[in-house]
Amino acid sequence: MQKRLVAKYVAKRIVVYVLTMFIAFSVVFFFLRLIPGDPVLRYIQQVYERYAYRLPQTEEIIQEYRRTLGLDGDLFTQYIIYLRRVFLEFNLGPSFLDFPKPAQDLILRHLPWSIGLLAFSTLLAWLIGLVLGTLAGWRRDSKMGMFLYILSLSISQVPYYLLALVFVLVFAYLFPVFPARFAYSPTLTPSLNLEFISSIVYHAILPSLSFIAVATFGWLISTRAITITILGEDFLLFAQAKGLGRLRILNRYVLRNILLPQVTGLAMSLGFVVNGFFLIEWIFAYPGIGTLLGLAIGQLDYNTFQGIILISIFAVLTANLVIELLYPLVDPRVRTGG
Amino acid sequence: MVESLRELHNGTIISKIRFIQIGKLLASSKPLCVGVIILFLFSVIAIFEPLINGVRLGGLQSSAIGYFPRLQMPSLNHPLGTDHFGRDVFAMLITGIKNSLIVGFLVGFVAISVALVVSLFAAYKGGAIDNLLNSFTNVILILPSWAIAAAAVAYIQRLDLTLVALIIASFAWAGPARQIRSQVLSLKSRPYIDLAKMVGERDSQIIFFEILPNILPYIIVGFSYAVIGGILAETGLRLIGLGAAEIMTLGLLVHIFMTSGLIIQGYYHFIIGPVISLILIFISLNLINIGLDELFNPRLKKVTGE
Repeated sequence: MQKRLVAKYVAKRIVVYVLTMFIAFSVVFFFLRLIPGDPVLRYIQQVYERYAYRLPQTEEIIQEYRRTLGLDGDLFTQYIIYLRRVFLEFNLGPSFLDFPKPAQDLILRHLPWSIGLLAFSTLLAWLIGLVLGTLAGWRRDSKMGMFLYILSLSISQVPYYLLALVFVLVFAYLFPVFPARFAYSPTLTPSLNLEFISSIVYHAILPSLSFIAVATFGWLISTRAITITILGEDFLLFAQAKGLGRLRILNRYVLRNILLPQVTGLAMSLGFVVNGFFLIEWIFAYPGIGTLLGLAIGQLDYNTFQGIILISIFAVLTANLVIELLYPLVDPRVRTGG
Repeated sequence: MVESLRELHNGTIISKIRFIQIGKLLASSKPLCVGVIILFLFSVIAIFEPLINGVRLGGLQSSAIGYFPRLQMPSLNHPLGTDHFGRDVFAMLITGIKNSLIVGFLVGFVAISVALVVSLFAAYKGGAIDNLLNSFTNVILILPSWAIAAAAVAYIQRLDLTLVALIIASFAWAGPARQIRSQVLSLKSRPYIDLAKMVGERDSQIIFFEILPNILPYIIVGFSYAVIGGILAETGLRLIGLGAAEIMTLGLLVHIFMTSGLIIQGYYHFIIGPVISLILIFISLNLINIGLDELFNPRLKKVTGE
């Protein structure tokens, strides 16, 4: 019985996962195809503007470009080509930035930097926010509780990149304490030694700090609200009446109930997080996919930026799926279907 | 019986609508009050921008090059100095404020209108269409919308502010739509809606006269989040060098001063204007949201201890 329920839960999640991905990829396709502006003609024009070289605009060359980009034929044919390439061949087409290597090679080379920075910062912000938020809710009438709350309200909506700009100005130019650009010192060659690793950590401080300093307070606000709701519940009154210690109540009754919605919240927030990280990377010239996206858009490298969009959708949805599949381990109600 | 029900029912509408007394409302919440004042000041700057720049620059565009000496430090004539093209930075700043606010409000209006169309009727009616639209909204929410907007903007040749705003808004509606939907779902099961049905109001009447006034605070909150998101997204596009060329926005100012190398040479005062303006605009809109939340969300009110 138990096994069948679990199988049903897993199957349902996976169906939703595949379906959502299909719809999301289709939305991206149609949005990028239906905007006014022809990728090929625009590219030819840009080459002329930048390098004063007029590509011969013969029908053949334009056709060749269209074929390379998967843009030949009518909209429906293009859609089929696109779906086949993406879902069956796992091929995003050749990139312009590193022609003729396929775009996915380029993206996969940059992806680890992004994932490392993003996963580390997100988890740290989430954890600190959870701890501080519980405190702020638990002691909401104290000076510290109110201070934390007011601080969060004022900071939590500041866009990440604005803080990144301020940090670059203050800590890299005005008081040059931290490096302003890149993921490691350009004088080092990547290798597994202490010097290189410490260089990576040193360069990651400002970018991750500009994210953590904002995101933590968002988590603080929501955790505080949940804590306060829980504190008003009857089962807590009962636990107090039973004479349980404060720490035990906080641990067994409050924390477990905060964890559930906040784990879901973590999964849901990933989409926004990815969005915000593109610009942080760009500002710090961090070699992740955000900087690559900026470069690809600047060079009108259609396959590469489309690929980056698709891969970030894939990453967000997959992270969501993993969290949802792990969810029953945390929440017994989902496990038993009750 | 039906008549007395109708009277009772009208009584509840009137008491619900009474919150439109704006003055009282402002006085009752400090964040709301401060937020509205800051936003009002920025709007005044935006509205009088043509006049101020007209007088100060003698009819010149604030982006016109070479009218003043280059790289002046702040003085009475040029409160924020002049840049490397001999442009008055203060004039550029207020033009930037105006255009950024225009983008933000355009995004806000389009996004909230789409959100209402998508969520209001469907959520009230329920059923397959509602399910479909809700799933679609959730898909839009997980998209890296800024990256898609950037890609779209890169391909359009003749950009103007409206077009940029429309592209940004085509994703910005999803958040408010979900908010509004959940509010409508909770409202439509309330007794006073049943009462309205009993006295024979049509669906459209119920939606416009019973539900809409009650979700107004959420609409305003959704609107101002969309405005924030719009300004944010446009500024972000500017940072990677995209957007409507020649149209001064706060993002373009940041981009110009970050990439021109003036910061390294010590001209910090250039960047301070646009960055502080952006932060103040975000804070004011955010304060308005917090204030509205406090006023209309009784649970939060209890929480904040007021």
